[in-house]
Amino acid sequence: MSTPDFSNQFDSVVDSSLEWLMDNGESVFDTTNAFLKGVYEGVQWCIAYPPYYVIAIVIALIGWRAVGLRFAILTGLALLFCDVIGLWPETVSTLALVLTATVLALVVAIPLGVLAGLAPSFDRVVDPFLDLIQTMPPYIYLLPAIALLGYGTATALLATFIVAVPPAMRLTSLGIRMTPKEFIELGDASGVTGWQMFFKIRLPFAMPSIMAGVNQSLMMAFGMVVIAGIVGSGGLGESIYGAVRTLDIAKSINAAIAIVILTMILDRLAQSAARSRMGESK
Amino acid sequence: MTTPNIDTNEVLIDCQSVWKIFGKAAPAAMNAVVQQGLTKTQILQNYGCVVGVSDVSLQVRRGEIFCIMGLSGSGKSTLIRLLNKLITPSAGKIVVKGKELSSLNAAQLREVRARHIGMVFQSVALLPNRTVLENTAFGLEVQGVGKAERYKVAEQALAKVGLSDWMARYPSELSGGMQQRVGLARAITADPEVILMDEPFSALDPLIRRQLQDEFRQLTKELGKSAVFITHDLDEAIRIGDRIAIMKDGAIIQVGTAEEIVLNPADDYVAEFVAGISRLHLVRAGSVMTPVEPFKVANPGCDIARLTKTSVDADINELIGLTMKSERDALAVVDNGVVVGIITPRDLLRGVQGIPNEFAASPVATALEAST
Repeated sequence: MSTPDFSNQFDSVVDSSLEWLMDNGESVFDTTNAFLKGVYEGVQWCIAYPPYYVIAIVIALIGWRAVGLRFAILTGLALLFCDVIGLWPETVSTLALVLTATVLALVVAIPLGVLAGLAPSFDRVVDPFLDLIQTMPPYIYLLPAIALLGYGTATALLATFIVAVPPAMRLTSLGIRMTPKEFIELGDASGVTGWQMFFKIRLPFAMPSIMAGVNQSLMMAFGMVVIAGIVGSGGLGESIYGAVRTLDIAKSINAAIAIVILTMILDRLAQSAARSRMGESK
Repeated sequence: MTTPNIDTNEVLIDCQSVWKIFGKAAPAAMNAVVQQGLTKTQILQNYGCVVGVSDVSLQVRRGEIFCIMGLSGSGKSTLIRLLNKLITPSAGKIVVKGKELSSLNAAQLREVRARHIGMVFQSVALLPNRTVLENTAFGLEVQGVGKAERYKVAEQALAKVGLSDWMARYPSELSGGMQQRVGLARAITADPEVILMDEPFSALDPLIRRQLQDEFRQLTKELGKSAVFITHDLDEAIRIGDRIAIMKDGAIIQVGTAEEIVLNPADDYVAEFVAGISRLHLVRAGSVMTPVEPFKVANPGCDIARLTKTSVDADINELIGLTMKSERDALAVVDNGVVVGIITPRDLLRGVQGIPNEFAASPVATALEAST
């Protein structure tokens, strides 16, 4: 009999604390909103300002250097296709969203991951939080974000940021911890300092794992950016959401194709970066 | 195996009653050892601790290759890691070049490791993301030596181990033997006085292994370095070492030259080890010769002056050769122009079996008796 009572009380506590946050943290959230929007708009301007074929050629050239000629040609054609189906502006917006959220997430995740790798006590503290973030359905993060930051890009970025942090952080921490014992001995026996041990021995060994984490975060960000169409993220996610609501099957399939194209291109680029980092060029 | 350049007066590494006990209750177990003299088994039962190294004392002199031979689990890998404090001892003192390791702060310890003690690992531990040259220069890089300078020294070291053509390659492109050569080049690039070798050749195939053993010994002597060489292979220890320490259950049970160990094994365990070792190149005339007086008594008609002469250091193989060429059945052992003993075929057979002369007149046998 006390259960509904308790749950009512709990709900009202959550509601009132969220309200308290909105009332008192307004300036913080406004700043966050402005910051996220500012970064996003900067990135978006860079990609959207040049004509579509310039961007397609630039990405194809990067692909040529990083992966190979065949990949470069396919990349260029695929990006041109995005324009042909009339979704170039949305494609650009999605790319900007993913890049912004992923870069911000990595800036936080990699240093924290390093810390967790070096200090097991810190790892034990953050591990449950990472578990929590990764087990919750991703759209959960849209709710508090929309309450605090309002409808729009900033909310999409924050939610994407949240889901993109754990993979990179986890794999960075793992990579740092997995330095083979004999190389730690080599470092100690050679008389390295703590910094030298980190940069000359631990980090090179962790690099493949870190790059795998970067790739994972990128993929998580893609998934989230599409879901974030619900909160007015702009880009392909919103196109799909709109098309689903109006049952415009053709448009939703077009947008889905554009997303697949973008995902595959970035995934391959990130993977080749990971591989070249390992020094296994041959 | 003559070793003229060992300076017996300068001790580079001095271990004094060193212990290492592993386990949570290690300090308590160590106390129990000191106060009650518990055995290894009792410590395991009462404290759940494992004795890695027990009461080891040894000295490594300048220019000497000191082999530590033991089977797996004998504590030899732990012992070598105590020498540069990769593992901290539970008790006892380790003095390197006059500095006690436990008294050094972190920076001083780094300095000792960087400049005075090099190390070569069984796993080689070449950084896979660096070229052979970059790996070789690692020690100097860590010390903050500039690129041009450290690459120059590393190139010289690689030339010494015969890898000049491989400097720009990555470790994965090299065979196991070549990788271990890089490991050795890396150790000598930092120009330490002592090189710790942790079973460096154990994973290599026999032919390459022998080749590297000879090269290593030659290089170490040429550079005037000292080395502590860990191995589980007595043949390797005999090939390489000036002195050999035999380890069992964490303790050193015998230290001596190969000849001393083969002729006078300290106990049955050592005796069993040396049983299969060929004496032909180990046992020398001085250890098996019959003194002159008893020989004269037994062979009154023999004119010692007309016997083929040989030296105290000649090994059994050489003595057999000389005896075959000689018309008589005896050789005169000459030291400083004086005949000090006679080698008879009987002595040769004794030498092949590894039994010192019954007259106990040999310098080795008497020295050992005096020390025990």
